[in-house]
Amino acid sequence: MTLEEPEPEPNPTSDYTLDWMEGSLSYLPSFFEDPYSSGDPYSSGDLNDDSWLDIGQDLDQELLNSSLASINYNSASSTTTATSTPLIDPIISGQKKRKITDEPNPRVSQANKKNQNRRSNEPEDGNQTVLDQGVPNKKGGGNKRGSSKLVGNNCSNGNNKEGRWAEQLLNPCAIAITAGNLNRVQHLLYVLHELASATGDANHRLASHGLQALTRHLSASHTYSVASKTMNFASAKPRFFKESLMYFNDINPWFTIPNNIANSSILQILSQQHSSNNLHIVDIGVSHGVQWPTLLDGLTRRPGGPPPLVRLTVIAPVVSNNQSLDTPFAVGPPDYNFIPQLTAYAKTLNVNLHINRIENHSLQALNAQVLGSTPDETLIICAQFRVHQLNHNNPDDRTKFLKVLRSLEPKGVILSENDMDCSCNNCGNFATGFARRVEYLWRFLDSTGAAYKGRDIEERRMIEGETAKALTNAGEMNDKKDKWCEIMRRVGFSGEVFGEDAVDGARVLLKKYDSNWEMRVQEKDRCVGLWWKGQPVSFCSLWTTDRKQNDK
Amino acid sequence: MAMIIDDDLHEFYFPDYGNTTTTTTTTTTTSASEDELCNWNDWSPLMDWEALSNGQDQDFRGLFESIMDDDNASLSQLHSSPELYQHPSPQLHEDSSPELVMINHDHEEILNNSEDTKGLRLVHLLMAAAEAMTGVNKSRDLARVILIRLKELVSPTQGTNMERLAAYFTQALQGLLEGAGSKNNNVLLSGPYNNRDEHQATDALAAFQLLQDMSPYVKFGHFTANQAILEAVANDKRVHIVDYDIMEGIQWASFMQSLVSRKDGPPSPHLRITALSRGGSGKRSITSVQETGRRLTAFAASIGQPFSFHQSKLDADESFKPSSLKLVRGEALIINCMLHLPHFSYRSPDSVVSFLSGAKTLNPRLVTLVEEEEEVGHTTDEGGFVGRFMESLHRYSALYDSLEAGFPMQGRARALVERVFLGPRIAGSLNRIYRDTERCSLGNYLSAVGFQRANISFANHCQAKLLLGLFNDGYRVEELASNKLVLGWKSRRLLSASIWTSPELDL
Repeated sequence: MTLEEPEPEPNPTSDYTLDWMEGSLSYLPSFFEDPYSSGDPYSSGDLNDDSWLDIGQDLDQELLNSSLASINYNSASSTTTATSTPLIDPIISGQKKRKITDEPNPRVSQANKKNQNRRSNEPEDGNQTVLDQGVPNKKGGGNKRGSSKLVGNNCSNGNNKEGRWAEQLLNPCAIAITAGNLNRVQHLLYVLHELASATGDANHRLASHGLQALTRHLSASHTYSVASKTMNFASAKPRFFKESLMYFNDINPWFTIPNNIANSSILQILSQQHSSNNLHIVDIGVSHGVQWPTLLDGLTRRPGGPPPLVRLTVIAPVVSNNQSLDTPFAVGPPDYNFIPQLTAYAKTLNVNLHINRIENHSLQALNAQVLGSTPDETLIICAQFRVHQLNHNNPDDRTKFLKVLRSLEPKGVILSENDMDCSCNNCGNFATGFARRVEYLWRFLDSTGAAYKGRDIEERRMIEGETAKALTNAGEMNDKKDKWCEIMRRVGFSGEVFGEDAVDGARVLLKKYDSNWEMRVQEKDRCVGLWWKGQPVSFCSLWTTDRKQNDK
Repeated sequence: MAMIIDDDLHEFYFPDYGNTTTTTTTTTTTSASEDELCNWNDWSPLMDWEALSNGQDQDFRGLFESIMDDDNASLSQLHSSPELYQHPSPQLHEDSSPELVMINHDHEEILNNSEDTKGLRLVHLLMAAAEAMTGVNKSRDLARVILIRLKELVSPTQGTNMERLAAYFTQALQGLLEGAGSKNNNVLLSGPYNNRDEHQATDALAAFQLLQDMSPYVKFGHFTANQAILEAVANDKRVHIVDYDIMEGIQWASFMQSLVSRKDGPPSPHLRITALSRGGSGKRSITSVQETGRRLTAFAASIGQPFSFHQSKLDADESFKPSSLKLVRGEALIINCMLHLPHFSYRSPDSVVSFLSGAKTLNPRLVTLVEEEEEVGHTTDEGGFVGRFMESLHRYSALYDSLEAGFPMQGRARALVERVFLGPRIAGSLNRIYRDTERCSLGNYLSAVGFQRANISFANHCQAKLLLGLFNDGYRVEELASNKLVLGWKSRRLLSASIWTSPELDL
């Protein structure tokens, strides 16, 4: 008698679950695989092949284009465990770093930090962030009463990633993309799909925007259009756009504080000039006109009244028709025009306001002729959240542009920018940049969620959709505040102290917003920082071309 | 000589087995005779079915019914409730590789396209939840959010295999998440019967019966052990079996039948069974050890098998003292250790180890061990919690699939088995993994303490194959070592039966 192993027939009606498991997850650590089942119809390999092909076709091109790590489809399944763990580490170390700062013993945290930072890309920045912390909550003494709840959160939320689950999926996914670990990418995309929601809380929204961005990155070219799905400035109706923006400014200081400080600074500079000079403001910003009525009011309240002529030159962003080149907040609805309204308002105040809008002119190509500036006017440049889109290395358009500004001999330059590291491909790999973009968007969504008190309204979706451009915009070439200051000094500007009025006025204004916001004024570089939950968001700086100042 | 296999193979052939099995669950309790037949088929050992069905079925049926005790109706109610059989068989789609749809398309499409992708989505979510609960990327917030999502997607009583399985895994993970931090999570550590407040005892019995009908797991363990014992004591006049976890005693009913029906063998030896009992509350089995003894004694008398029954209490910590056993010179001592059968309670490894190491000092003729079969070459550390979690998911999905293959149409019946046995088992199993309770193959342990492998006989191997032949094609048995048979579903090894002997004895 012989013992014959019954040949198992594929049983289409009974092995579903197993198929799910094997079809989807055989890339998992090797323990998952059957060591003796190669050639078995139920073995993972066969089922998995199809999915490999699918994902391969979709991702091939992109991955090859980006000349990412070479991918061995067949071996990926066994190497998953090995590769994924270290890849995740940088994030983890960041997380631990932050947690450590909560510990009472600073010595311990320092010691640990040194170890943790080994893998971190910018250990110094990491350290700096950590060291800065602890100050804010005490400083935030100006917090409103009645929001003590939030102050409590301040301590626990600010310095670690507690409560921030979306990043725990998005960043590992970006890391997996960078590593060419397609199975991991696929797994995380699946989970993101399940949890993303455009209308949920900040985490759900972050997951939703992040998922779109990752999907777009993975699609073979960047022709993929998200615009149809996501509301943003350009897709809004002009009236709705303006009202929403103003309402947003009313509940979130993201732009209000920079705008307020800019206006105060303009008045400050003006007060140092001859009162009969004309004022010429160059608006390279994202305020879409809503910041200027306040300035006009301020001008009328000056001793001696407004200047004889106030010129406002608005440098419109170059419209690219390619969203991946759009700087967040820069592009408004195509038929939005604030000029007539602002002019009319100036008239009611008896301010002689002339507005000129310069279209389709790249920043680095600006000159005195284009601006029509004259030597006898008080020229003030107001650059807000736009300059970071200029390439800062190879070619260094940014330095070129700032040199142009310097050559205009303005009486003052107000520079407001995001206080964060660069997300461009030259300054780090995709994963590094993506994590920074996500971090930026998180602060925006988190603060906006608080501002709208969790309500999901169209205004909110529009402004968040606009911000989400930061996830895909190729020009998110941010720098930390210190680096900006360094460049400004290099091209010949000297830092100017904000007047007490400007700082105090901004502080008072900030009190009306969520108590997780705070302002930090630093003696060293004279900048004013805007912080959310103990993390820097943006900074404002004031610069002059005064030789004497420069020599100091 | 009790080599049943020598006889004509047709004796193993049960022409009506399939039908009868179906009858058991698909028809209402029709005639008494049909019922008896069902019970016979399900409870009697394979090789003696023919002989016994002629004579003593009444007694055997009595055994089962006495277990059913006061609520005899529940099983038949279960069988007769119409919706039980109309429950549509979960139809998953085999072509389940939608993964990359999402790469190029908006994700709404994926979310809506749920039928095709749901199983896969669930697996991804479960794995992500496990990842979020441990390791370097630990994030309780993420785990919580994922579990909330999972709960929206699944229910333990509805949907496909994967959906129901995912529901139990979700519940188990939820339990871990909530209980994380408290070490004394007794509910989770315990086996099925600690939750018995939630199930009627009759549910448990019905579920046990269904489990027997649907799958060969229990019989595989019992039959393989019994056959090995029969062979080991072929010429003995007195046999003493020490049973670590006797449960309802069904293994010994079939063993006695085998003893009395041996052809051309010596007269049936005297059989003594010592069942270990546990003092602690909350660990009650389906029936108490006393009841089991009473039933077995009655059953033995009914078939003319000389028999005596004893109990030996484990210590409070469930450790075993060999001195507590009453041994008689001249008895063939057999150590029987059934673990991890789908309906069994969880026993702590310490307790099992103390039993086996204690047994070693007694120089037993044979040790029969049935335990979960680990995947080869995977140490406990590999993959950490997520790895072991996924292995567990894989294991249970194989189990679910095998049960579905056994009874494709009886969604509700399976749901009962799942609720009563598998759900609590999943919770216990994940809890142990999460707390990283060491698990080691007891077979390796036996080998380490000096037991020697006893060969699985050709007949025993044949018997296992024949048993599986009565079930779905997906089952397979393999001889993984000279002393070990492994039962698997498709490519997944699930349960192993191994036999061991003391070194100075030569079998």
